[in-house]
Amino acid sequence: MVEASSGQRRWVLLTLLVAGIWAGFTLNLNPAELVQGNPSIAKEFLVHAISPALDYESEVPTGTSPLVLKAVHAAWQTVMFAAAAMGISIIGGVLLGFLASSSLMIGTHRGLARSVRIAIYGATRLLITFMRSIHELLWAVLFLAAFGISQLSAVVALAIPCTGILAKIFSELIDETPRTASEAVHAAGGSPLQVYFFVLAPQTMPDILAYSFYRFECALRSSAVLGFFGYPTLGFYIAASFENLYFGEVWTYLYTLFLLVALVDVWSGRIRMGLQQ
Amino acid sequence: MSSKGGDLSIRDVSVVFDSVTALDRVSLDIQSGEAVALVGLSGAGKTTLLNTCNAMTWPTNGNISIDGKNLSSMDTNELKMARMRIGFVHQQLSLVPNLRVIQNVVIGRLGHRSLIGSARDLLFPSREITEQVYDILQSVGIPEKIYERTDRLSGGQQQRVAIARALFQDPNILLADEPVSSVDPARAEATIALMKDICASRGLTLCVSLHNLELARAFFPRMVAMRNGRIIFDQPTDTLQSYEIEKVFSLVDDSLASPPLSAQEDGLGGRFG
Repeated sequence: MVEASSGQRRWVLLTLLVAGIWAGFTLNLNPAELVQGNPSIAKEFLVHAISPALDYESEVPTGTSPLVLKAVHAAWQTVMFAAAAMGISIIGGVLLGFLASSSLMIGTHRGLARSVRIAIYGATRLLITFMRSIHELLWAVLFLAAFGISQLSAVVALAIPCTGILAKIFSELIDETPRTASEAVHAAGGSPLQVYFFVLAPQTMPDILAYSFYRFECALRSSAVLGFFGYPTLGFYIAASFENLYFGEVWTYLYTLFLLVALVDVWSGRIRMGLQQ
Repeated sequence: MSSKGGDLSIRDVSVVFDSVTALDRVSLDIQSGEAVALVGLSGAGKTTLLNTCNAMTWPTNGNISIDGKNLSSMDTNELKMARMRIGFVHQQLSLVPNLRVIQNVVIGRLGHRSLIGSARDLLFPSREITEQVYDILQSVGIPEKIYERTDRLSGGQQQRVAIARALFQDPNILLADEPVSSVDPARAEATIALMKDICASRGLTLCVSLHNLELARAFFPRMVAMRNGRIIFDQPTDTLQSYEIEKVFSLVDDSLASPPLSAQEDGLGGRFG
């Protein structure tokens, strides 16, 4: 890769800054808009941030589980959708990552085999670009329209862009790994797939894990938002409470999501620490 | 001589990288079970020559044969089989740093195993595999390091892991590219002695490239000297005359034209003498 000089970097930064300001003016961004509308509702919403509800803000039928328990259940559902999607994404990402990385080319110097592999490499890179160029929520809307509400379509909607992103990141991590060991193992008769799994992947494993955890965090947030389309994740309850202006409840669910993400962060940190030892 | 095979024949091999000639019509025959030192300065073509022997580098012209079979006429499977019979110890060792020693050694045999089989060998090695790795580590003197993470070992110990990996591959031919260029002289001697002994006891063909003429003379019955991509002599070490050693010295004289002759001889005496 060609390294950008500091002069080039300065120009890139300057261009981005000018583009940002220009876009802001084009969109007529006006800070005053924030206080237009209904300031009292905004104030009430923000005030509830320091006093989230511990109980329902309205009458509920007897037998309804307590609010906190409901939040925990919704959080669990959120985790389930995200975990299922991540499971698919990691498997898909690792496989597509191989096809989109230079390890596919290991040891092919000659003839048709090389041309075929170059074609597979190019097609895979196109595919993963397509997968990640459409947001998971857009996939969810499309699947909702096509298949109706189903748990599988929600998981697949979450998994498609996530697989594309993981495949891209994995392939780049693999490409940046020093080639000495992989060439040596290939020269001793190892196949490209063996070299990928047993020589290159172990060397990038700490980075792959760290990035997978980060994507799991993203999947959790998207899984929560899927609730707005009717899936039983945190978003479903946030939307319902918000419509009724039960801001205390909204904050309870938001803090649950925050706790969930923080928990994943602590967990991933521990695992990464363990890997380094 | 070994019954395992391991004849290496290099015929008129040239390698040109972007108009730079790395090897220029090199011919060399190494018999099964023979031990050969390849000496010469950096850039003489030693690494390129070794790399052509297992088709990591393809010759621009000429042929390489293993036991009479030409590498360039082999199909993918035949080439893989041929490569599995050549163990290679690289200058940079080429180990996977964050795997354990046992795993790095097992990697030497990936070519013999399926994807699933190799995953099992690496993650859940059988008692048999563990014992085989232990035996090989014992022969290189570090059996107690079997479950250590490879990047926690010293340079000399990693060197031994690299040799163990090449041996676990069960080769007929062992090639080593400057295997002792980054270790101290005492360690270098011990490592070369180790490789030499193991190859002699297993009947393996051994070809080692070295900077150090003294090591080459002490351990190898045959010496091949290279310069500018050509072989300048190839003969038994015990018949090596002083004028031929002078030729090795004169190699260096050419590349160090500016310092006075006495200074060059002093410097080179330390390196080669």
